[in-house]
Amino acid sequence: MDASSKESSSWNGSQTERDDLSRVSELQFAAAVLAKDRKATAEFVARYADGIYAYVRRQLIPRMDLVDDVVQDVFLAALHNLNQFQGTSSLRSWLLGIARHKVQDCYRRLFREPDPLGAEGPDVSWLASNEPTIEESMDRADLEKKVRSILDQLPEAYSLALIWRYWEKRSAREIAEATGKTEKAIERILARARAQFKRKWNHG
Amino acid sequence: MGEFKSNNDDFFERLARKTDFNDAPRAPSTLKSRIYTKLLQRQNESGPLMSLSEVQAGLCVFEKIIALAPIGGNFKRVNPCSVCHARVLAEHVEHAPIYWRNCPYVGFQKR
Repeated sequence: MDASSKESSSWNGSQTERDDLSRVSELQFAAAVLAKDRKATAEFVARYADGIYAYVRRQLIPRMDLVDDVVQDVFLAALHNLNQFQGTSSLRSWLLGIARHKVQDCYRRLFREPDPLGAEGPDVSWLASNEPTIEESMDRADLEKKVRSILDQLPEAYSLALIWRYWEKRSAREIAEATGKTEKAIERILARARAQFKRKWNHG
Repeated sequence: MGEFKSNNDDFFERLARKTDFNDAPRAPSTLKSRIYTKLLQRQNESGPLMSLSEVQAGLCVFEKIIALAPIGGNFKRVNPCSVCHARVLAEHVEHAPIYWRNCPYVGFQKR
């Protein structure tokens, strides 16, 4: 069913109803946004921005400067395509699907930038000859701070490659497909990224 | 298809397990405000907004005046937020000192 074909008048954005999501069909809610009910649009942002923001932020660490723009793009794309929302999944899942695509677009753009060491750059694996260790005594907050700080210092493609590979558990092939690079190129980037990360880990 | 795993992978896999970065931060209210403004702009570009007389949810004091005023229907479809000080503050200041009842920009600061 097309959301736009629904009557929007049955959506009432009073506080009581806002808090009781089960009483408000998401299709009717989407229809109210499509009918340009400004209060429904405000509720659309209020209800879903936190979830989308948390997702995008997690995907784009350490590039926090990109997060706001990507989240805004997600909402603009959602508004543009809201008439295609079928209600087969929750509105939140539908928005997260858009967010996933936007993050991938962002990754693709960043990977398109030239490899900082060149395609045939030197092998830097020797930089990490001392195998790093994760101190058990370090608490999670400190550990996260250290990881973020190192990721922040790496060339963009390197930090994104590491996050995608290890934090998002994507294979080199999946990253290659998503970024339009060859699997070999991704493995080369990962090798250099690991080496630089470890060097900073040991000496940072 | 399984991938070759080296000792290199072990270190990073352990690191990823220990640091999931899942601190679930909330979106800044300034960002929510800017997104809302942008969405209303887009909606306005493709035709007038729903008349304030038809909007069923709570209206702020300015919207209420427009909704009740004996003026032309087209005027009730404008977006008064575009010239409101509350919007400007909310888009630029986290925890902005605005307290209008039923103002969406105030709402973004609370949620």
